[in-house]
Amino acid sequence: MNPILEAHGLGRTLPGERPVVLVHDVELTIERGCFTTIVGPSGCGKSSLLYLLGMLDRPTAGSLLFEGRDMSGLSGDVLAQTRLARLGFVFQFHFLLPEFSALENVMIPMRRLGRLAPDEVRARGFALLAEMGLESKELKTPDKLSGGERQRVAIARALANDPALVLGDEPTGNLDSVSSARVVETLRRLAHEEGRAVVCVTHDLDIAALSDVRVEMLDGRVEKVTDQRAGR
Amino acid sequence: MNLRGISFLVSIAVRHLARRKRQTAVAVSGVAVGVGFFLAVSAMMIGSQNDFVEQLIEAAPHVIISDELRSPSPQPGTRRFGEGAVDLRGYKVRTEVRGIKGWQGIVEAANAVPGALASPSLTGGVTLRLGGHEEALAIVGVDPEVETKISTIEDQLRVGRLRDLETVQGGIIIGEELAARLGVKMGDIVAASTSSSKARSMRIVGLFRKGQAMISSNSGYVLLREAQSLLGRPFIINRIGIHLDDPYAAQEVAARLEQRFGYKAESWQERSSEFLSLLVTRNVIMYSVVSAILLVASFGIYTVVSTSVSDKRRDIAILRSIGFSERDLQLIFVLEGIMLAAIGVIFGWMLGYVLMEILASLRFPIAGEDESVPLDRSTRQYVIAAASSFIAGSVAAWLPARKAARVDPVDILRGAA
Ligand SMILES: Nc1ncnc2c1ncn2[C@@H]1O[C@H](COP(=O)(O)OP(=O)(O)OP(=O)(O)O)[C@@H](O)[C@H]1O
Ligand SMILES: [Mg+2]
Repeated sequence: MNPILEAHGLGRTLPGERPVVLVHDVELTIERGCFTTIVGPSGCGKSSLLYLLGMLDRPTAGSLLFEGRDMSGLSGDVLAQTRLARLGFVFQFHFLLPEFSALENVMIPMRRLGRLAPDEVRARGFALLAEMGLESKELKTPDKLSGGERQRVAIARALANDPALVLGDEPTGNLDSVSSARVVETLRRLAHEEGRAVVCVTHDLDIAALSDVRVEMLDGRVEKVTDQRAGR
Repeated sequence: MNLRGISFLVSIAVRHLARRKRQTAVAVSGVAVGVGFFLAVSAMMIGSQNDFVEQLIEAAPHVIISDELRSPSPQPGTRRFGEGAVDLRGYKVRTEVRGIKGWQGIVEAANAVPGALASPSLTGGVTLRLGGHEEALAIVGVDPEVETKISTIEDQLRVGRLRDLETVQGGIIIGEELAARLGVKMGDIVAASTSSSKARSMRIVGLFRKGQAMISSNSGYVLLREAQSLLGRPFIINRIGIHLDDPYAAQEVAARLEQRFGYKAESWQERSSEFLSLLVTRNVIMYSVVSAILLVASFGIYTVVSTSVSDKRRDIAILRSIGFSERDLQLIFVLEGIMLAAIGVIFGWMLGYVLMEILASLRFPIAGEDESVPLDRSTRQYVIAAASSFIAGSVAAWLPARKAARVDPVDILRGAA
């Protein structure tokens, strides 16, 4: 076990006259070098849990340990800085900034972090896009790219600051099977070869079958966690 | 955040604005027109004001001590018994001997003030007569040597010099209009008389230009000695004019001298307090108009930033998920407003400069002289215009930018996914 993220009793309830429970009492450990998938019926709270794990949303119950540090109660600025430096998100829809070219989109996290010199940022941007098989597409704006290409740009952007944890919310949900297979292959490589923790929400049971750990959710709860590595 | 981070936020803001060129152009022109007209109007207002105040300051001595008392001096009876037991009524009031008593001491005291020069003079009424024509005239008896140093009368002479009074026996300087009415020219002789003295001949040695607001057309200058004998008041003066190197010290100097000697000492500010308060009103009006223009300009900025924020909610969510903080997002949109203001200010400066060039080139005749518009073209106005635009722009952008900071990325992501 090499945990990067630990959820203990994690819960999220929307306040209101009739409170809505999105996530309830989740115990979960995410490991480095491991490709984890979250599956479950629509509306069971997969995305909600992912937002909590990615520190985009704040839990209303329980605690979250990231790299051994309790994240609950930290300021929004600290959480943002953590997302910037340590996390990468990929969503179902590509979510690229429309005014920026593919290269510029990939450069955004690096430029905001400001650790690399401008020419290094540029070089790394080209390298990441090349890794995603997007040579010669660098200067195109998102509207000039196909859906699969956009998603690969989004992955390249998620990897820009060399994150320890990559989170995907149905990253292949909008792609044809060929593109989808490529993306999954990439995600597996990120975990197995680069030692990152990868967590993906998916509807696709084939993808779930390919993952190392499968988390099944129902009604906001984690029903079952299966480690699929043992059988292989 | 480091400098690279900030410059990156700037570049995002630039992209946003570049996307909405027309709105940006409208907002920028709003600021530019505001700034440009502020520069032109304030240059005129301040220019004419400076011109006017300068005239006020230089038209007459900065401090004038006269033989008036602010309150009548107590009568001997009251002085003796005070306010207490006795109330004196119906006593015979002792008439004051007009003129400043002990004026030599006052002149000495005034000259002792650093940067001050005092000139004693005597003013009184005479009648000028030529043929059957009579004109009332207030003559001012002066010491030309000192008087030229404390006032600008010398500049207001069309012909002749003040010093000519010393060389010509019975010399007098009067205004052009009066001379025209009497039908006299330089070198002509007129008869001057008072109720108590017989007529004496005076020779015109100089003429004041007409249209000098500060010199009454019915006053004339003679030698102090001449005035004293003409008015039958030898050794008496009734006015001390004081010139100061720093005109703005006039109020203080006047107050000190009045306190010490009891005679009314009037500073130029007191003398022209009505005009000065008029200037304050003018300035209030000018700055209200300018604030209104800038307010309108900031509406434009508000609109651009506000629509930018609502159009970019998705981008805001993306940036937040990438790791931009609430403050980053707020800053991006405030920067948009500041950039709109900055571009507007630059165009406004150019517009203002052009407008001022045009104003400066205008010439129009006033009282026969070709006058130009007095303009104050100091950089201070440029700075004020820029600073107020930046403040207005930042506030106008800050209001919608707070909304950007409050966008919850999770709401947007849920809605889209
Ligand atoms: N703002 C909200 N108000 C009320 N209910 C909400 C709100 N947001 C989410 N929910 C509900 O919370 C539940 C969990 O939503 P979530 O998006 O996490 O599900 P999901 O498992 O990701 O579904 P899907 O597979 O369709 O993406 C859903 O039933 C949803 O209707
Ligand atoms: Mg979902």
